[in-house]
Amino acid sequence: MTALPIEDVELDVLTDRPWITLVWNDPINLMTYVTYVFQTYFGYDKPKAELLMLDVHEKGRAVVSSGTREEMERDVAAMHSYGLWATLQKDD
Amino acid sequence: MFKSGIGGKLTLKLDPAEQAVLSQLFEQMAELLDDPDSQTNSDPLAQLLNMGGSTHISEDPALARLFPDGYSDDEHASADFRRFTEQDLRAQKVSALATVRGTLTNWNGKASITDQQAQDWLKAINDLRLVLGTRLEITDEAETDFEADDPGIHLYNYLTYLQGTLIDALT
Repeated sequence: MTALPIEDVELDVLTDRPWITLVWNDPINLMTYVTYVFQTYFGYDKPKAELLMLDVHEKGRAVVSSGTREEMERDVAAMHSYGLWATLQKDD
Repeated sequence: MFKSGIGGKLTLKLDPAEQAVLSQLFEQMAELLDDPDSQTNSDPLAQLLNMGGSTHISEDPALARLFPDGYSDDEHASADFRRFTEQDLRAQKVSALATVRGTLTNWNGKASITDQQAQDWLKAINDLRLVLGTRLEITDEAETDFEADDPGIHLYNYLTYLQGTLIDALT
């Protein structure tokens, strides 16, 4: 019998704390491109996509989606496929 | 340049010099993605389970930019994320490259681009800009400071222009 690997236990199942996807500012991706990606992948309308893009641009990063850890890993992988610099983390 | 015609149909027009430059850049990109130094796990079972990717971010800044970490604050989770996603991400990039190189083969100046091909073009041009921009150490979005006689900057600005025409045509 093996000991329960404590560090791998998903304690999140007991809480409602969601995970978030962050997109970080970078000097190469075009603002119009980032807006287009937010519209295309997340289905956000243009005003919302532009607001998020401006947040990324001006504040250095923005939360672009939230949900379960698996959903956020999917979103981050999708952002990487578009060349956007994205990470996920637990919402603080 | 890319143009949107009647009914939103996309066309790409390139003169011979543009076609030659793009073909060369995409070929170099294919070589970069085919880098034998990229640390892949050759365990057949791991590959079968689609978890044969490496666990560490590349030391090459350009590859690090194409394949970034998934977590900013958790090395262990980043390694797991990379193991499960990097191979697929690489395959997507290789597939997009194959599409754009296909378009440029037997080039006669002009081609119609399907919606799916447009997505591949968008990503492939963006990947080129990321690699070139990283190599040129572009750290500021203002392009006015660029030395105009640097051929790398010329290429970078051309790719920016080309991608801009595609985004305009798509939106």
